Amino acid sequence: MIKVTGLHKHFGKLEILKGIDMNIEKGEVVVVIGPSGSGKSTFLRCLNLLEIPTKGTIQFEGNLITDKSHNINATREKMGMVFQQFNLFPHMTVIDNITLAPVKILKMDKASAVNIALDLLRQVGLEDKKNAYPSQLSGGQKQRIAIARALAMQPHVMLFDEPTSALDPEMVGEVLDVMKSLAAQGMTMIIVTHEMGFAREVGDRIVFMDGGNIVEEGDPQTVFSHPKHPRTQEFLSKVL
Amino acid sequence: MKRINALLACLLTIMLIAGCSGVNSDASGQSTNSKKLVLGTSADYPPYEFHKKINGTDEIVGFDIEIAKELAKDMGAELVIEDMKFDSLLLALNSGKIDIAMAAMNPTEERKKNVDFSTIYYTSDQAVLVRAEDKDKYKTMDDLIGKSIGAQKSTIYEDIARAVPNAKVDALSKMSDILLSLESKRVDALIVELPVAESYEKNRSTLAIADARPKSEDNGYAVAVKKGREDLVSQMNKTIDRLMSEDKVKKYVTDATKLAEEGDSNIWTILMQYKSTFLNGVWWTLLLSLVTVVFGFILGVILVLMRRSRIKLFKWLAIAYIEFLRGTPLMVQLFIIYFGLPSIGIEFPKFIAGAIALSLNSAAYLAEIFRAGIESVDKGQLEAARSLGMGQSMAMRYIILPQALKQVLPAIGNEFVVIIKESSIVSLIGITDIMFQEEVVRGSTYAGLPPLIIAAVLYFILTFTCSKLLGVAERRLKASD
Repeated sequence: MIKVTGLHKHFGKLEILKGIDMNIEKGEVVVVIGPSGSGKSTFLRCLNLLEIPTKGTIQFEGNLITDKSHNINATREKMGMVFQQFNLFPHMTVIDNITLAPVKILKMDKASAVNIALDLLRQVGLEDKKNAYPSQLSGGQKQRIAIARALAMQPHVMLFDEPTSALDPEMVGEVLDVMKSLAAQGMTMIIVTHEMGFAREVGDRIVFMDGGNIVEEGDPQTVFSHPKHPRTQEFLSKVL
Repeated sequence: MKRINALLACLLTIMLIAGCSGVNSDASGQSTNSKKLVLGTSADYPPYEFHKKINGTDEIVGFDIEIAKELAKDMGAELVIEDMKFDSLLLALNSGKIDIAMAAMNPTEERKKNVDFSTIYYTSDQAVLVRAEDKDKYKTMDDLIGKSIGAQKSTIYEDIARAVPNAKVDALSKMSDILLSLESKRVDALIVELPVAESYEKNRSTLAIADARPKSEDNGYAVAVKKGREDLVSQMNKTIDRLMSEDKVKKYVTDATKLAEEGDSNIWTILMQYKSTFLNGVWWTLLLSLVTVVFGFILGVILVLMRRSRIKLFKWLAIAYIEFLRGTPLMVQLFIIYFGLPSIGIEFPKFIAGAIALSLNSAAYLAEIFRAGIESVDKGQLEAARSLGMGQSMAMRYIILPQALKQVLPAIGNEFVVIIKESSIVSLIGITDIMFQEEVVRGSTYAGLPPLIIAAVLYFILTFTCSKLLGVAERRLKASD
């Protein structure tokens, strides 16, 4: 579904990604872990071209999206993204946050967009908040709304960029629960996170990144219980 | 969508009103073709030309006006009067905004280089006007040496004043301002036309004519026309000859001086008597500000989008525009549009010219305010919008601009208040706003302070209401915080 080849990213002289290769299959849940500054967020942001790769190619559903002539907006519709800082639109109610893109981009009529939005709000357990403004919500509620907003575009893949890092500890669970049920429904997901327990439980594949490279990858059992690379061992010994 | 339609409808209405009124209030336009004689004058110089309430309506009357009426009558044309600053008259003649100019104007050699003159229709003397208690101090012109002297700018009186050794000369455009500076002791004496001095002396017990008498060589007045209009000059001369032979001119001077001999300086009387004059000024100030706000806003948004464009040409054009408009005086911009552009064939009625100048100017300031607003929006907002598949312009329209506007609403409100105040500059080209009407009232009542206070209060009511309304709008928008 997604095929990344030789991905490099420089910020000025700083080389953040030093040649990443990765294949992601439909329905797969890939969890990217690693220390801060390892390039895992940058990698994720390259997948929908929020960061423009310096070198390398990305194919999505057979299309070469790194090609200059490719219309990235059409691809982004199919790649939902959830941010660490939620990034809800503060001047709109919850329901407007969710229905804006389907109505304006997919030209869906307002009534069906609202129906889809209410379904999604039910899924994330926040149906009663439909007319609230983001400022009236807790962090966990904001992030669940942000997930619903991304899902409203009916994406083929969901990208999560440290979705629980900005949350108070007691709110982490409610967001992870939503993500678990999403995984259970067969959604293709790429998740950058520091929640190791969650990674182990939900991930089909764990990718450990350090210094702009993929150091080790494999199924959770292997990576968490029997890491091969000393860097992975060192990292896991610190966080587990 | 509905809201946008309503906004558009509102805009169109404003444009229509502005367009129509602009045309109505500006009967001059292209003036040579039909049976109209457009007279340019500076109606603040009683008894030659001044504003006067006659049967409740404001009219421009005076000695020059009476002669102009005769000129028009002999031509079989309708007389149209355009009131403007004395300094602007020759400019207006040459740009074709007026056909003739009469404003107690001396045909000096310098002026003859730019315009043609009729024969002299009146010769007069000047006087030295002082505060009554100082009357005995100024017996000869030598007593003025080293004093400060007021005179009307660009007139023969200014030249006379400047010829006094060591004198500090304070030259102002409006007679009423000059009078105010004598009464408020900013100058010691004024040089004015004798009949004018006589009418002031009669009206104000605080003023008196001194014994000192200026000697002037160029003291004849003539009608100015655009250079090369010999047909018009001979037409004028014929009428002037007739009036001279009928001895009408002297009669006009005395009549006009009498007409100028009334006035009440009590603020309430002035307010009541000139209520409709002031209200008319409020209407024009409001309309002009509204049009400016709408067009300045639209243009400001366009400018900021250009300023932030990735296309270098747009970006640099916007920067150049903003810097230039912010770095030059509004008055210069206004004069370029109203007096300058006609010389390359672009001519606007005065209301439109005023609205264009103000809109172009405030757009530059608004663009910078918008830029600050856009930059204050968290960049995660744009990323979230883009990640949903929105293009740059859609993200701008639905996500960034609404938040940016909310951020800078207080600054925008402040700019609106500035527009209302700055709009007073259009009185210079004769748009009948509050400031213009204030000058009209000051010119016809001889009252220095009260009309200024009324104008200040009117402006304050407008600006205060404006900021209160914006405060309400701000609180509404805060609903989502």
